[in-house]
Amino acid sequence: MLKDVMGVIYTGENDANLRELTLMRAIAALPVAGRYRVVDFLLSSLVNGGVRNVGVIMQKNYHSLMDHLGSGKEWDLHGKHDGLYVLPPFLTRENVGVYNGTLDALRSNTNYLSRSKQEYVVLCNSAIICNPNIEEFIQYHVDSSADITLMYSKDEGLLRDEMGSYLKVAEDGKVTEMEVEPTHPTLPNTFMEIMVLKREFLRSLVDKGVAHGHHAMCRDILLPMVTDGHARVNAWEYTGPAWRMDSVQAYFKFNMDILDTNIRRKLFVDTLPVYTKVRDEMPTRYGDNATIVNSLVADGCIIEGTVENSVLSRGVRIAPDAHVKNCIIMQDGQVHSGAYIENCILDKQAVIKRNARLIGPSAYPIVIAKNVVI
Amino acid sequence: MMRKKTCVAMLLAGGQGSRLGILTKTVAKPAVPYGGKYRIIDFPLSNCTNSGIDTVGVLTQYQPLELNAYIGSGASWDLDLNNGGVFVLPPYQKGKVGEWYRGTANAIYQNMAFIEQYNPDYVLILSGDHIYKMDYNKMLQFHIRSGADATIAVREVPWEEASRFGIMNTDVDNKIIEFEEKPKQPKSNKASMGVYIFTWEKLRKYLTEDEADKTSSNDFGKNIIPKMLADKQVMMAYMFEGYWKDVGTIESLWEANMDLLSTPMPIDLHDKKWRIYARNPGYTPHYIAKGATVSDSLVTEGCEVYGHVNHSVLFSGVTVEEGAKVEDAVIMPGAIIRRGAVVRRSIVAEDAIIGAGSVVGEETGNIAVVGHAVELPAGVSVSAGQQVDATTTF
Repeated sequence: MLKDVMGVIYTGENDANLRELTLMRAIAALPVAGRYRVVDFLLSSLVNGGVRNVGVIMQKNYHSLMDHLGSGKEWDLHGKHDGLYVLPPFLTRENVGVYNGTLDALRSNTNYLSRSKQEYVVLCNSAIICNPNIEEFIQYHVDSSADITLMYSKDEGLLRDEMGSYLKVAEDGKVTEMEVEPTHPTLPNTFMEIMVLKREFLRSLVDKGVAHGHHAMCRDILLPMVTDGHARVNAWEYTGPAWRMDSVQAYFKFNMDILDTNIRRKLFVDTLPVYTKVRDEMPTRYGDNATIVNSLVADGCIIEGTVENSVLSRGVRIAPDAHVKNCIIMQDGQVHSGAYIENCILDKQAVIKRNARLIGPSAYPIVIAKNVVI
Repeated sequence: MMRKKTCVAMLLAGGQGSRLGILTKTVAKPAVPYGGKYRIIDFPLSNCTNSGIDTVGVLTQYQPLELNAYIGSGASWDLDLNNGGVFVLPPYQKGKVGEWYRGTANAIYQNMAFIEQYNPDYVLILSGDHIYKMDYNKMLQFHIRSGADATIAVREVPWEEASRFGIMNTDVDNKIIEFEEKPKQPKSNKASMGVYIFTWEKLRKYLTEDEADKTSSNDFGKNIIPKMLADKQVMMAYMFEGYWKDVGTIESLWEANMDLLSTPMPIDLHDKKWRIYARNPGYTPHYIAKGATVSDSLVTEGCEVYGHVNHSVLFSGVTVEEGAKVEDAVIMPGAIIRRGAVVRRSIVAEDAIIGAGSVVGEETGNIAVVGHAVELPAGVSVSAGQQVDATTTF
């Protein structure tokens, strides 16, 4: 059965609140947790669930995402049959390349949908970090004879005003009520923007949606289904941890949350490994006078100063007498001698020069853009 | 029909490395972990790929399982190619005869058909026993320029140690005039590194003759090279400068790991132009907890440190629990050091568990070793130089 599922990840979400972090990259390509990109989690979940055909729909500033995914080798998605399909927008007479929602994006990629052979499709957005057991999710759907199964979470951290969709789920798993982008969510279950349905059914929904001039999957397709009940929509609960990557604060919080070993172990489950692109760095070198407390550190760093409550990506350099507290430092960032930084996010290759002091408020961390030298 | 290759590499990975004691009881020496995330064989394989040599035969014989699984498709070293790539070559049945590799030369002889497929001009012979970064292409260019039939890589060793090595006596142009295995009175300090380039046509002739000679022990050092010298073939010594370490013993393996902790590192593994590739186990970044101390050490992804680590190398996925102390030690992948245990001047092998409060090694003396997947009980002592395997009782 499991070979009969394909995955589609839509990566065109709104990223305005991530400021400089998504200036040059999609949310899916945002570096997190020291060595991953946001997309790694869902992509690995799909692969761990037996999915061997995954399409990644790209919308804008997708160069970094394409660079990261490459041939799909790291996720074992480089086979002769199926594998990874990178689907950038292509401009035709009917297609202007700008998608107004998932439905719109699928319409531009109907060829990929119809060419694929799998019976089921797992359709997801990319802005929620989680690590569900996709195999169980699909099995639930197949066994329940629902038309569509939505994945949801009771995690209150996912509730947002004016964005997302929220569900009321009956005891038999049926979705009885749905709110789309409410002013304040009143329903407790957050739709995790992951759903499973038959490929042919999805194709018919896309065709119908196009005929009616619809763009949005949740508002235009799912909501009417739940409200007038012409299709059976079920929901499956994901009980693991999840984070919505929709603002700098949310990004910061996720990285700080996983410093907690208990939370980290719930996200990085041994049986559901998270794969990512390999960089072949040597192990991290700690100097004679290094002090390091409650931090996650990837390979290839050289740490000679003090690091507290921070997440360091590959190739970061912390000089002697530098002090880093509550910070996220992306690949190849440097903090020079005598510098003190607190509540900062350093994008790739950012450099903090000698004796600089940079203290952000904990509720609103400072973002230092890529390649910036301070 | 394969496309022609200028040079094919043959990596001799069949040795047991018995001087590594219990560390090579279940794995071949080239598969022994080194430097936090590597295995010894990553060095010759990465050197090949960085030197533009993309066809490598790996000759295995002793405990090949782990090595085979480790090499896999060769993708980690960019050696998963349609034309060329890395091939694991165990001994196999030929017609009615099937035999083990009897010596280094015999191992190559038995795989002549593999080499011939690529119709190479030159063959590079390597071993999986050493830690070094070397551009084999420079050596090949030297071999071609000097019109040699064979070129042997040598490095200068301290004179007082020369009698432990195979020594090449050369003329002023680095032409080899004599080869002496472990000479009592060395005339030169140019020691062979076990890296040879042969013009394939010549080597094929000598391998065939050597095979026909029933008295030969079918070894490069003992038979092929002396025979070629006696026949006045052009044999050149290629001078190598840089870090080169034989990790053939427990002490030298430990030392080679400790070398990575000196400043500057005698072998630069940060070098972006000469990366050492390894198979990646895909762990999360390592985590250093509140209350832990880590100094003067290498720590790899997947480690969790709650205790104290000083002047040590922690491989992927190692756990050091609260109050445990690790000093001057090499802790291989997946090992766990339980609460309050003390590990000093030791090598703890893959997946071993050091029980709570146990003491392994001493501040001075020989290196203690805890073997692969050994579960050391709580509260025991392992003295300096002791080797503990699954059969050791306390």
